[in-house]
Amino acid sequence: MKNALQLAYLIPLFPLLGFLLNGLGRKYFSKSLIGTIGSGAILASFAVSLWVFFQVKSGNTHVAHYFNFISVGDLKIPFAFQIDQLSSLFLLIITGIGFLIHLYSTAYMHDEKPEHFGRYFAYLNLFVFSMLLLVMGANFVIMFIGWEGVGLCSYLLIGFWFRKEEYNKAASKAFIMNRIGDLAFLIALFWLINKTGTVTFLEVFSAESLSKLSDRDITVITALLFVGATGKSAQIPLYTWLPDAMAGPTPVSALIHAATMVTAGIYMIARSNVLYSMAPAVMTVIAIVGLATALLAATIALKQNDIKKVLAYSTVSQLGYMFLALGTGSYVAAVFHVMTHAFFKALMFLGSGSVIHAMGGEQDIRKMGGLSKYMKITNITFLVGCLAIAGIPGLSGFFSKDEILAGAFATSPVFYAIGLFTALLTAFYMFRLYATTFRGSFRGTHEQEHHLHESPAAMTIPLIVLAVLSIVGGYVGVPEFIAAGAHSLKDFLYPVFEPSYKILQEHHVSHETEWGLTIGSTIAILAVVIYAWTRFSKKPDLAEPQGLGKVLANKWYVDEIYDAVIVKPLNKLGALLNNIVETKVIDGIVNGVGRLVNYGGRQLRWVQSGQVGLYVLLMVLSMIVIFVLQFFFRK
Amino acid sequence: MNALVLSAILGVVMMFSGILLKRPAAIRSVAIIGLLLLLASNMLDMSGTRFFSINLGDFLHFDRFAFLFNSVAIFCVLVYVLLTGKAIERVGVKNYADYFALFFFVLCGIFLVTSFQSLLILFLGIEIITIPLYILTGSDKRNLKSNEASLKYFLMGAFSTGLMLMGIALIYGAQGTFAIEKFNLLKIPGSPLMIAGMLLMLFSMAFKVSAAPLHFWTPDVYDGAPTVFTSFMATVVKAAVFIGFIRLFENAFGLLQPTWQLWVALMAAATLFVGNITAVFQQSVKRMLAYSSIAQAGFMMLAIFALNGDAKEGLLLYGAAYSLATIGIFSVLSRMDDYSYESFNGLAARQPLVAATLTIFLLSLAGIPLTAGFLAKFYMIKAVVATGSNLWLVVFALLMAAVSVYYYFRVIQAMYFREAGEHSASFQEPGKGFKWVLVLVAALIIALGLFPSLLLNWLYF
Repeated sequence: MKNALQLAYLIPLFPLLGFLLNGLGRKYFSKSLIGTIGSGAILASFAVSLWVFFQVKSGNTHVAHYFNFISVGDLKIPFAFQIDQLSSLFLLIITGIGFLIHLYSTAYMHDEKPEHFGRYFAYLNLFVFSMLLLVMGANFVIMFIGWEGVGLCSYLLIGFWFRKEEYNKAASKAFIMNRIGDLAFLIALFWLINKTGTVTFLEVFSAESLSKLSDRDITVITALLFVGATGKSAQIPLYTWLPDAMAGPTPVSALIHAATMVTAGIYMIARSNVLYSMAPAVMTVIAIVGLATALLAATIALKQNDIKKVLAYSTVSQLGYMFLALGTGSYVAAVFHVMTHAFFKALMFLGSGSVIHAMGGEQDIRKMGGLSKYMKITNITFLVGCLAIAGIPGLSGFFSKDEILAGAFATSPVFYAIGLFTALLTAFYMFRLYATTFRGSFRGTHEQEHHLHESPAAMTIPLIVLAVLSIVGGYVGVPEFIAAGAHSLKDFLYPVFEPSYKILQEHHVSHETEWGLTIGSTIAILAVVIYAWTRFSKKPDLAEPQGLGKVLANKWYVDEIYDAVIVKPLNKLGALLNNIVETKVIDGIVNGVGRLVNYGGRQLRWVQSGQVGLYVLLMVLSMIVIFVLQFFFRK
Repeated sequence: MNALVLSAILGVVMMFSGILLKRPAAIRSVAIIGLLLLLASNMLDMSGTRFFSINLGDFLHFDRFAFLFNSVAIFCVLVYVLLTGKAIERVGVKNYADYFALFFFVLCGIFLVTSFQSLLILFLGIEIITIPLYILTGSDKRNLKSNEASLKYFLMGAFSTGLMLMGIALIYGAQGTFAIEKFNLLKIPGSPLMIAGMLLMLFSMAFKVSAAPLHFWTPDVYDGAPTVFTSFMATVVKAAVFIGFIRLFENAFGLLQPTWQLWVALMAAATLFVGNITAVFQQSVKRMLAYSSIAQAGFMMLAIFALNGDAKEGLLLYGAAYSLATIGIFSVLSRMDDYSYESFNGLAARQPLVAATLTIFLLSLAGIPLTAGFLAKFYMIKAVVATGSNLWLVVFALLMAAVSVYYYFRVIQAMYFREAGEHSASFQEPGKGFKWVLVLVAALIIALGLFPSLLLNWLYF
């Protein structure tokens, strides 16, 4: 009998249909129809994902094979979906949060023309489709197709308001940075094909194919895949595109640049956990890069005044946390944090969208203040998000962050110390953001004040749902030292990471130590929260920053450094090739030869401008070189 | 054999149709019917129905690979005529029928090149292909650029013909025969006469497919020729010569692979580099496409380098994917007055369907997944990986493919993300038929990107 999970193809099918319908019909459909098709497609996928999840939970995992996608020689790449614990969890996150964000978008984007409204939903559905391919694919090639697809959609959506030139630049920047990562991914892929002859996950991670890989192979492949992940998941050195990507509409930032696409790198590494567990050196690099990114981005976020930029850097920082978890072997913690982060960061992005909507497009928090009086639901839900990300006990962020820090402590107390410091910074800038925006008195114009209002229900309902999830989402992973056997997520994901557990030796930290660490960090965080809240409610940080603050406000000048070190020299090289090689060398010789030839006959001058002669000369020269090398230098 | 004879006859028919028929549309219809007949006769030949029974001796051998490519070539010419046929009127209506006659003669040459078994036939085929191209390049008689391009092409073409003849002569001296089947390379594999002849053949073939360092003619000629004919030269013809190229190096020089492989690798790398890097700096889409055709040739050179089963299948797919996409792009370009990137600004708003299909063509050329171009590149890379060593070439090719994304996306960006300004060139309103064919070609590119077996299965069944 066929496995019922063969039906999993329905999950990506709905968004694809939504994309086609909205893409083709965007000129003819009304806005409400477009919104219904767009959101309905994701809701349908969510329903199927839910069913799939319960199938998996009851122990039914399956690789659904549809047809052979590529068949070259003895390499067969099937078009197949792998439905297991890891992918089913991601499916729920993507379709669930995806649906809420689609719903939210119907109100947020309502001022767009119907045609653009349709375009927006078509892109958004296409994005969800690609993201689903990425997590469902049973081999690296399908994953790569999704990987490229989400990159493309992200590019299209960042540049959605393409009439602004800087938005186009942001889109191009994101695309190019991602391409650098993709290149590494591709090389890893071909390396893998060359050595093992397969790209299917189950086959690659089998003992037979792992035995074909030398230590060097594993190190190179995992390192290259990690470079791919740094592009997509915005880690050092390829993170600068993500803050610029905030040029896109806010729901897009919530869906793509907070909840789903940017976690693709984490998904990929979690999926390939066996390979990584066999490459301890790469694991250490991942942990260090993750930690450095977390710290760097958190310091930058301290001084940002654009509400979305703060959230963007916070996302980069939290992604760094997830990589720290991966690097220290706490794969479950990484996936756990992906989930809780998806809840509270999507919540805060949507909340910021609600604020921006009310402020008539204003994003500078220095011009806000006191919004809690005008927008009750947004205020409360945003506060929940801030409490969750800060790691206040009882909320989802507390559990996942605590688990990551515990894992870091087990590996090295230094990691723990930096991680905790970053957590304190996070609490600080989040409450700086919250207090400056919602507390104190309003600092905008009268016109804006008059305009302030709570957002419509289509926007507040997703906020409320996400706020609830941000509160309760953590209880699937209650740590062992609080209640034994209550970490149901760990048990659920156990089969996925089982091979890694066999390779990695577990560091055990005693329950007493864990209690101590948790209580200590909680007290510190609470102190920071209270300090930031009271300070910025009374006296918001409005002055132009000086000294170190200025460096932070300018993002450590990383963009400028990249510009000076990479972009400018490249442009110069291009100009050099164009000016010197093209105009001076080539044209110089051309003109020189041209003058020589001109003695021959003035009649043919316009044809014999010397070029043909030069061309033939160059061809003959290169042939002579080859002949000489072939006959005198090659054995 | 069916197609070979028929194409020669059809060429003559087209010449006379110019005397009898005055309306371009009527001439075009005759050509389309002729191409359909040609396609049908070739398919019949492939399935074993032969109209002629001639002893081909050591001259020609029609195998499935050749038949299949011939079908692809005829199909591409058909698509080309459907899409660009009307635009040829802009070059001149007076000799309108003659252009189509030349297409049939070129096809005739293509059939010889794809199934030659003797170096003489290869030479004959190459010349039959090239001479009509000289004429087509210079067909815009009142345009100095076109004249200049034609003369340049002719001068350098004559040079490459000389190389080829010299090569054939040397090989004849070494082997005592023109029949490639009868070459005896085991006995005296490394005779200098043979190797010199082979290198000369390599150069002349590289010239025809515009591989570096013999690519210099390409940008000037492609840029100078009337756009409609550039489209023809840069696609079907180039792909066909590649088939001849791989046939020559597999059947005639296969055993000498250790000698020539390094040179082919270096030429492929140089071609990829020159094509891609120079394309980035072009300001005219037409010139960019000329360099892009060099860049794509670099990728196809990888098939010659690897020379295994994957390479041959991949070359077939590559030829089809590249030709169809490029013909599509040129068909749009030939309806524009101005070839700068700015002229594409805001095309998506004015011509959404045309812009969407154009995007698919460009994505395919850039090798983005789900298009035929991606799989074609995948096959090439796979073939090189299968040779075991030479990972540097793979890495380099991928790097260059990444560079190519930049200039292809520039067109997409102009179409979608820029407002139409004063620079936007007027775009001839396309008819319904044109749009249908564009959509069909785009669908075909996606279909081949998902199921390459649609094409490649023909090789075996």
